[in-house]
Amino acid sequence: MLTIENLHAQVEGKQILNGIDLDVKAGEVHAIMGPNGSGKSTLSSVIAGHQDYEVNEGTMLLEGEDLSELAPEERAHKGIFLSFQYPVEIPGVSVTNFIKTAINASRKAKGLEDMAANEMLKKIREKSSLLGIDSRFLSRSLNQGFSGGEKKRNEIFQLAMLEPKLSILDETDSGLDIDALKIVANGVNKLRSKDNAIIVITHYQRLLEYIVPDFVHVLFDGKIVKSGNKDLAIELEEKGYDWIKEMA
Amino acid sequence: METGSAVTWKYPSCILKGDNSIGEFYSIALTNNYQQADTGTKMIHLGKNTKSTIISKGISAGKSQNSYRGLVQVHPRATNARNFSQCDSLLMGNQCGAHTFPYIEVKNKTAQIEHEATTSKIGEDQIFYCNQRGIDPEKAIALVVNGFSKEVLNKLPMEFAVEAQKLLEISLEGSVG
Repeated sequence: MLTIENLHAQVEGKQILNGIDLDVKAGEVHAIMGPNGSGKSTLSSVIAGHQDYEVNEGTMLLEGEDLSELAPEERAHKGIFLSFQYPVEIPGVSVTNFIKTAINASRKAKGLEDMAANEMLKKIREKSSLLGIDSRFLSRSLNQGFSGGEKKRNEIFQLAMLEPKLSILDETDSGLDIDALKIVANGVNKLRSKDNAIIVITHYQRLLEYIVPDFVHVLFDGKIVKSGNKDLAIELEEKGYDWIKEMA
Repeated sequence: METGSAVTWKYPSCILKGDNSIGEFYSIALTNNYQQADTGTKMIHLGKNTKSTIISKGISAGKSQNSYRGLVQVHPRATNARNFSQCDSLLMGNQCGAHTFPYIEVKNKTAQIEHEATTSKIGEDQIFYCNQRGIDPEKAIALVVNGFSKEVLNKLPMEFAVEAQKLLEISLEGSVG
């Protein structure tokens, strides 16, 4: 589904990614771990197409299609979803209104009519109950005054509504207590299917106990220095990242 | 609702003469390109127990300057007069300006006057967030602006609110830079 080859990227003249290779197939869950400053969040921003990041070498293909010339919204229309580490506030725009706008924007890009109001309502009900979100939450301003858990739950709610092909969860576990983590992870697990793929970016193994990955990659200094299965995450939890740094 | 001319001065006002009379002012002033707007209201409290509310939303884009200028005046015989003013400004880009000039003149000790003002800027992170969800930059700005103006748009009759929303979008066309 997503094929990344020899990806180099910089931000404000600073080289962050130094040759990433990653192949994610439909139905797979990949975890990307690594110490602070290793380039994890940069990788997610680059895949999503953030304008501050400049790709200076390498390719990114989604289902064989080159992403490099596509604007962020076009990548979203192709089915890329990024669950933000720090979701932004938009005062006066309700959770419902925002997701409606997003869904209809993607439909429009595909040449479809706006989703009928009753269909939308049904879908919102279905997905919000999946994540234990009540209706009062849906009428609040997007992320304004949300707790850490509510913000992340709202990201996963949007993921559920948009049904992307490739979801990137950027430190979705940060700022979550154990109960919120379980709710979010359960939500993600319910959305796993053979047709979509998930990349989980995290510092800790904790989230991976709930969202079990097929592959674990360790990112250090802008490169994937080690790949393995879920046992690698446990090994990292025990030994820390120092041995990886020595290896690199 | 003001999207008006190159230079606009406009202060539709209320004289609260009768006892217990109420004045309310809700406005959205949007400036773009090189427009200059200096708009607001006057609430002149003459009668007893008079109340006024001012909600002003200013949106500045391009190289425009947008000012709120408002007078709240409480006369000696206007006992228990109350006013609440809220002026919010939204900036787009870094070449526009927003200004707030509240004038408050109180000549009666029983008056209660409140004034709140905020200034915020449409952030690139907000736009990117919308983009990532499939919303293009122009639509994203319209969304943020509509959210910002919501308290005022909610006061309008439905038909007019829909028109007003469209007008905001048209006035902001091409301001994405």
